[in-house]
Amino acid sequence: MNKAIWSFSENATVAAEIASAATALASAMQGEAVIIDVGSLREVSGATKKLLLKGLAQTDASPEVSAEAIFRAAKQLEPAVILVGATRNGREVASRLAVKMRTGCLAEAFRLSVEDQSLVAERSAYAGKVVARVSCPLPCVSTVRSGSYSKVEVEPNEVKEFEVGEIPVRIRMLRFSKKEAGAVDLKSAKVIVSAGRGVKRKEDLAMLGDLAREMKGALGCSRPLSSDLGWLPEEHHIGLTGVIVKPDLYLALGISGQLQHVAGMKDSKVVAAINTDKDAPIFQAADYGIVGDLYQMVPALHRALAARR
Amino acid sequence: MRFVVCVKHALDESELKIDAGGKPQLEGAPAKMGTFDKNAVEEALRLRTALGGEVVAMTVGRAEARKSLKEALAMGADRGVHVVTEPRVLDPSRTSELLAAAIARTGPYDVIICSEGSSDTYTGLVPPMVAERLGYPYVGYARKLEVTAQVVKAERSLEESLESVESPLPTVVSVVSEINEPRYPTLIQIMQASKKPVEEFQVDQLAITGSTPPTVILSMTSQSSNRKRVLIEGTPDEAAQKLLGALEKEGVLSS
Repeated sequence: MNKAIWSFSENATVAAEIASAATALASAMQGEAVIIDVGSLREVSGATKKLLLKGLAQTDASPEVSAEAIFRAAKQLEPAVILVGATRNGREVASRLAVKMRTGCLAEAFRLSVEDQSLVAERSAYAGKVVARVSCPLPCVSTVRSGSYSKVEVEPNEVKEFEVGEIPVRIRMLRFSKKEAGAVDLKSAKVIVSAGRGVKRKEDLAMLGDLAREMKGALGCSRPLSSDLGWLPEEHHIGLTGVIVKPDLYLALGISGQLQHVAGMKDSKVVAAINTDKDAPIFQAADYGIVGDLYQMVPALHRALAARR
Repeated sequence: MRFVVCVKHALDESELKIDAGGKPQLEGAPAKMGTFDKNAVEEALRLRTALGGEVVAMTVGRAEARKSLKEALAMGADRGVHVVTEPRVLDPSRTSELLAAAIARTGPYDVIICSEGSSDTYTGLVPPMVAERLGYPYVGYARKLEVTAQVVKAERSLEESLESVESPLPTVVSVVSEINEPRYPTLIQIMQASKKPVEEFQVDQLAITGSTPPTVILSMTSQSSNRKRVLIEGTPDEAAQKLLGALEKEGVLSS
C-alpha cells in the first residue's frame, strides 16, 4: 500500500469535487491525489494526477464494469484510499470495490481525515439528527457526499494509463434519457420556494411557482407532493431520498418539517417557514417563522415584493 | 418464481432522543420497519401476483427485528428468515455478508429486492454489496420493474437521467419509494402473520469468513441546529413586509 488517494465519479462535476476531497486528504497525509477516469471524463479538475483506465468502451462504463476496472488497477497499484462520489451509481461502484478488495467501506462522508492508519469519516445519520464519526482501517473505500468539498482549481498535468483488459457486461442498456433540468436548477438555485401538503390543489402550485420566479428562485417540494400526489416531477423532491440543497434562502410553504425533508435542506443559509400549525416541526428548523395560511401569505408576499420595486 | 425481500428493523429517527450531553440514546430507542423497505415488500408482492411463486422476507438484526419481519408477513410475504445478531448498529459489509450467506443457504431465488436505503443510516451500500458477494448483477434505484422468466427489465431513476435496463436472472434490485404505494395489512392479516413460518439462523450457523475489517463508530453527537427561530407576527401584509425586511438584512434576497 502506498499513500495514494484515488477519487472516482462517473459524473464530471462530482468527479471534480471528489478529486478536491482527495487533494485535501492527500496534503494532510503527505500522499498524492489521483483522479480515476474510466473514459467518461473529458475534462476534470481537482487534482494534478490522473489515471486513465483503458480498454473499456464508453458505453460499457456501467457501475459494475467500472468497479471491476478500478479493482484491477487497485490490485496492482495499491492505493491507500479510494473515494467515490455518493451518487446512485457511485454507491454501487464503492460497494462492489470494497467487497472485491476485502476492505471496509465508509459512507456519505462530508469530512474526511486519516488517524492512526485509519480513514475517519464524518457523516449524518438518523435523518440528519446525528453526526457520526466512523473509522475504517486502511486501505479502504468511502463514498463522499457531493457538495461537501469546495473545488480545488487545478487540472491534471500528469496522466498515466492502465490497461484493464476484458470485462464482461451483464446489464444491457435499452434506453437512456435526460431528466428535466429541475434537479440541477435546485442544486444551484440561490433561492428555493418549497411547497408542502399545505397546498390544497395542484393548480395552486402555479401561485408558488410565480413567487419563486419573482424571487429569482426555483420551486421545490416535500415528498408527498412528488411521490404520493404526483403534482411535481420527482426531480423537485427535496429530502433525504431526493435532492439535497443548500441555497441562500429556503422558503418552506405549508411544509410540516418531517426529519426526512429537513435532512435535504438543513444546510441552507437562511430558512423561513410559513405554516398554519404553530407546533409544526419546521419552525424548529427555521430562522424566521410565520404562523399563517399560505393562501393569504403568498399573495401578501407578492404585494410586499411589488412594493419594494 | 422465488423472491426475497430484505427488510431492516430500523431505528425510528423521529423518536430518537438526545440526552443532555448531546448524545443520541440508541439503547432502547423505538424501531420499526425501514420506511422505504415497505415499498420493496409491496413490489415483491406485486411481482408474485403477476408471476406466481413465493416471497420470502429476510432480516438481519436483534431479536426484536422479528417485529419488522412480522409486518412484512402481515403485508403478504409467505415466510420469513431471521439472521439473529447482537450489535445495535451493523456495518454494511457485515450485514451484506450475513444476508448473502442466508440467501445462499435458503435459495435459490430469482430476484432479491431491497429498498434504496434504510431510513436510519441510509448508506445505500448493502444491496450492491449483496449482489457482489453473490456474483449477481445489480439494478439499483428502479422506479418501474417488469420480470419475465429470464430477465428483469427496469427503469432506473438516477440523479440526472432515466435508464431502461435489462438484467439476466438471478439479480439484486433496489427500488425507489415512488415505485408504488405500500399496502396496509388488515387486522386478520396481522393475526395470521404469527402463524407463518420464520426460519432463524445464528451467525455461527452461516459459514462467514469474517475477513472484512468492519468500520467502527467512534462517536455520535447531535447535529446542533443553530436556527434563530424568530416568530414573525401581524396581519399577512405586515408579516410579509417584516419577513422580507429580515431576509434583506441577511442578504439572501436576490435583487
